[in-house]
Amino acid sequence: MTLFALYVLSLLDGLLCGARVSMGRSAVIRKRSYYVRAQLRGLAGAQIVGTVALVALILVARLSGHRALLRADLEAAAARMLWIFVPYAALVLGNILLRLIPSVDIRSATSVMMLGPLTAIRPLVMMVGVFYGISASTLWETRLLGLFILALMLLLEFALNLRASRAQSCEIHSLV
Amino acid sequence: MRGFWNPAQPEITDLIIQHDPRTLARLPVRKQDVLQVFSDFGNRKALRAVEALPEHQGILDDRAIDRLLIATHWEMQRLAEEFHHGNRVWDLLRRAVTAIRNSGFRETLRIVDVGCGTGYTLRWLAAHVPLEDHAVELVGMDLNSTLIREANRLAALEQLNCRFIHGDAFSREHSGHIFLSTGVVHHFRGEALLDFLRRHEQPGTFAFLHYDFQPSFLAPFGSWFFHYLRMRTAVAKHDGVLSAIRAHTARTLVEAARAAVPGFASGIYGARIWKTPAPRVFHTLLGIRRPLLPEFHSQLGIRGARLGELR
Repeated sequence: MTLFALYVLSLLDGLLCGARVSMGRSAVIRKRSYYVRAQLRGLAGAQIVGTVALVALILVARLSGHRALLRADLEAAAARMLWIFVPYAALVLGNILLRLIPSVDIRSATSVMMLGPLTAIRPLVMMVGVFYGISASTLWETRLLGLFILALMLLLEFALNLRASRAQSCEIHSLV
Repeated sequence: MRGFWNPAQPEITDLIIQHDPRTLARLPVRKQDVLQVFSDFGNRKALRAVEALPEHQGILDDRAIDRLLIATHWEMQRLAEEFHHGNRVWDLLRRAVTAIRNSGFRETLRIVDVGCGTGYTLRWLAAHVPLEDHAVELVGMDLNSTLIREANRLAALEQLNCRFIHGDAFSREHSGHIFLSTGVVHHFRGEALLDFLRRHEQPGTFAFLHYDFQPSFLAPFGSWFFHYLRMRTAVAKHDGVLSAIRAHTARTLVEAARAAVPGFASGIYGARIWKTPAPRVFHTLLGIRRPLLPEFHSQLGIRGARLGELR
């Protein structure tokens, strides 16, 4: 269950990463379909990350001589990670919900004072969460898997950003 | 004062594009000349950003600069979107429009966006406001032909009822009933600010609304943080923060407006958030013909609390 919760959070993260990297890269006014496409790309990216992580987990479990112990250790590490990731996700979603209030001042404030800084600390939150999760684990497999998944998650935003940057550059080159 | 924080220095985009003031033709820009300006100010951030710009035999590459400008303006649009700038403009503009209509003016009202860039404000208005109901015409003007081309392309892409013209917004053939601008006024300093405002004194002009950064103790740091997080190009990061540093105080703007265009009642709108002492990021230099004042005050309603002294 805890591993599934992490998976759901990673999908949410991918969705928001997709939106974030697309911002400031399109100048049309009606952007709903543009953002939906960007979010779907982020979601797909997170799904790829999740699949790769699952394959790695299965491989490690197959090679491990103590599967039951590994499973318990992984569950414990995932549970600890949730202590960092769930409040972070709640803070982000809470601020997104605040934007439903029809006040331009409140909406601007949530963007500038909350979502901006929360975006900036994402890599740090990822690292703190994973290191906190694996800090008490007893098996090297758990630690290795944790670090591997951390690298994948950090790579996700980088890859999405690179793709969006190239698409923008192509579009601008076609204009000028 | 030397370095990045000196408000007397120009922004990078003020220097890397030059036009003939009479013909508006693009002029070649020597990279070394731009570097020299920032070297004199000891602004290493700007020097790094300008060093990275492509050149041919010492002259900045026009196409590369145009691409950079477009990318920068797309990023700046994000800032406007996050601050809900379109809503803010329309919230005040519609009251000015109604006040003018109630004074008996029946012709189509021409609203001119001065230094419109890629035309975000007008395109937003065209996309969200029933222009026919208000009988307004939206025209954006800029001296930069690349940005005007991009503004027209974007408007056509979404079939928006607004147009953009390469030229002088205050010329006789393009004169507006209402002038507005965003982030433009701080580019004019000293006598140039007075000259800019004097040009609003035209027979057909009823009002002007100029939105710009509001200076405060925290503004440069807040702007630095915001641009560091949100902007991607070095030029946008540099110029965005420098804009907040160079922003005019409310007092400078109002004194300049009252001296330059005495035919308008001038004041600052929207300086504080609600009734708190917290400053808004943008404030508005507002000018309106004196006979329209009572009707305009009436149209403001409770928004009147956001208005400073208008005289």
